[in-house]
Amino acid sequence: MTQFNGPAQYGFAERWLPRLVLAPSFLLTLVFVYGFIAWNGYLSFTASRLLPNYEWVGLAQYETLFANERAWVAVKNLFIFGGLFIGGGMAMGILLAVFLDQKIRGEGVLRTLYLYPMALSFIVTGTAWKWMLNPGLGLEKLVHDWGFTSFTFDWLVNPDMSIYTVVIAGIWQSSGFVMALFLAGLRGIDDSIIKAAQIDGASLPRIYWRIVLPALRPVFFSTLMILAHIAIKSFDLVMALTGGGPGFSSDVPATFMYASAFTRGQMGVGAASAMMMLATVAAIVVPYLYSELRGSRNA
Amino acid sequence: MGALAIKNVTKRFGDTHILKGIDIHIDAGQFLILVGPSGCGKSTLMNIIAGLEAPTSGEVQIGERVVNDVAPKDRDIAMVFQSYALYPTMNVRQNIAFGMETRGVPRKEQEETITRVSKMLQIDHLLDRKPGQLSGGQRQRVAMGRALARNPTLFLFDEPLSNLDAKLRVEMRTEIKQLHHRLKTTIVYVTHDQIEAMTLGDRIAVMKDGVIQQFGSPEEIYERPANLFVAGFIGSPSMNFIDCHLAEQGGDVGISLQSEGGVRFVPLLDGRRFADRLGQKVILGVRPEQIEVAEEGEPALECKVHLTEPTGPDTMIFTQINGKEVIARVHPRAAGRPGDSMRLKLDVRKVVLFDPQTEARLN
Ligand SMILES: Nc1ncnc2c1ncn2[C@@H]1O[C@H](COP(=O)(O)OP(=O)(O)OP(=O)(O)O)[C@@H](O)[C@H]1O
Ligand SMILES: [Mg+2]
Repeated sequence: MTQFNGPAQYGFAERWLPRLVLAPSFLLTLVFVYGFIAWNGYLSFTASRLLPNYEWVGLAQYETLFANERAWVAVKNLFIFGGLFIGGGMAMGILLAVFLDQKIRGEGVLRTLYLYPMALSFIVTGTAWKWMLNPGLGLEKLVHDWGFTSFTFDWLVNPDMSIYTVVIAGIWQSSGFVMALFLAGLRGIDDSIIKAAQIDGASLPRIYWRIVLPALRPVFFSTLMILAHIAIKSFDLVMALTGGGPGFSSDVPATFMYASAFTRGQMGVGAASAMMMLATVAAIVVPYLYSELRGSRNA
Repeated sequence: MGALAIKNVTKRFGDTHILKGIDIHIDAGQFLILVGPSGCGKSTLMNIIAGLEAPTSGEVQIGERVVNDVAPKDRDIAMVFQSYALYPTMNVRQNIAFGMETRGVPRKEQEETITRVSKMLQIDHLLDRKPGQLSGGQRQRVAMGRALARNPTLFLFDEPLSNLDAKLRVEMRTEIKQLHHRLKTTIVYVTHDQIEAMTLGDRIAVMKDGVIQQFGSPEEIYERPANLFVAGFIGSPSMNFIDCHLAEQGGDVGISLQSEGGVRFVPLLDGRRFADRLGQKVILGVRPEQIEVAEEGEPALECKVHLTEPTGPDTMIFTQINGKEVIARVHPRAAGRPGDSMRLKLDVRKVVLFDPQTEARLN
């Protein structure tokens, strides 16, 4: 055994230095991520209101949560936003990537241009789109000034439509990023595969649909994961763009949680909703990690 | 009947001229080899024939039809790519079927074709595998199968064997040759392996820097190379090039060769033709098997053996003539040992002469 273990006089420092260096971040993560998750989990079973208290109430907070109409609006909005944001962002990104892949001139400039939104924080995106979509300031006023006074675009202040403005801003921000991922994938595909398909008589859409995009399945799943977790924890975009309003019509779970816990003195309900979000994320991430890890073991 | 005609085709990428006026005509059923060093434009020419790339000028004719403006799918060709280019997410069956599906071949006919092709190439047990689960040789067969599923007027093979190991390569070479005998379809085949070129081709086009150096049958190319490049490129070991001067002795025009054992004058066949070049420098080209061991009493050149390389059926003798290293291919029993002296003679009927300036063949 020993003869495989390298030199016997392996120094104390060499052995302990890596652990020493890693220890602080390990400890911090342990306390501030997992410790607080556990604490939050505990709080969700207590009667905490404005401040934490430790009076055990069992599942009462979850019952309040599930009976709350506003919570259900937030969940419904999450599905609307998540579905359209992921689907739309993915479709836009793939489309842009396919167009950019046609060896057009000025590709470098366009790629940078499309990628820029990702460099902005969601707060900036949200604020910018708030101005653009504001009926009195942005798009609607512009079209009115052009003379089309019958034009209305008031989604931002329309409770039925406000969540869709979040979708628009989200897609705008993320599609460049999706494009970059897919473009990298497209570039990795052997040119001669496409040539072979041309000789086989396939049209360009058919080549992409049947041969190229299926080969990008791993990229597709990675992108899906990234967009899904952005969607579930999206908070800043909604806060900056609509603030959850009008009323609570564009609330999503994260804003609901924030409002409950920190502005409306229902810390227990907030904690319970946070646990539900954690469960949702875990439901997506755990199978993904499982398949990834299994995949790399097979490779 | 002409099967493929390439007329004065040129190709430029920006400022770089890749093809500089290519002219090739072959008849139906012929096996054309494009051979040349890496980067000489072989693949580019293939892509132009296939229609995947447009020529800058010139004309491509397949059968009786000018195809410059015809899309690849309508040229009635099938191509095997150097990198196989199998569709990675489809299994072998789908790979072979894809083209037929696109062309709207009825499903029953597709099934029959897949069965026929996969039997012929012995890949019928692999039909449900993905390309990633195949070995290099199997992938190569699938790529071939995809081409054979079509019954084209022209097959294009771009270095189909270059990724295989030596043994498989020889096997596949034979299979391709048999395939051609059976199908009798016209084939254009790119390689930079000169053994493949010699064994497979009816016609060989030797390319260099976008120019066809010589176009002819394998025998012509081997025995009567047009210039120094062709002579050196085809043949293994390569042809020996010996610098010498044309001289006259006893009414014969010939060359004098100096070895470590002495000097000898070798009269050339039909040497009078070179009377006007007397005293000038020429390059003598002689293939290793054209240097023979002289019989007792025959005039010969005493050569010292520097090194021997037994290959099995033959032994390569390394020696020196006119200051140049020269390789002779002799029978193992006739071979001397390093340090020995051997009596060698040239097969004067077969040697070739080149002009050192133009590098063109003189005789
Ligand atoms: N799209 C392109 N743009 C610019 N130059 C190119 C392009 N395609 C090929 N070339 C150049 O053309 C030359 C010929 O390329 P080609 O692929 O035809 O060589 P080849 O004879 O097939 O070589 P190999 O034996 O290595 O496959 C090369 O110098 C290459 O760099
Ligand atoms: Mg090539």
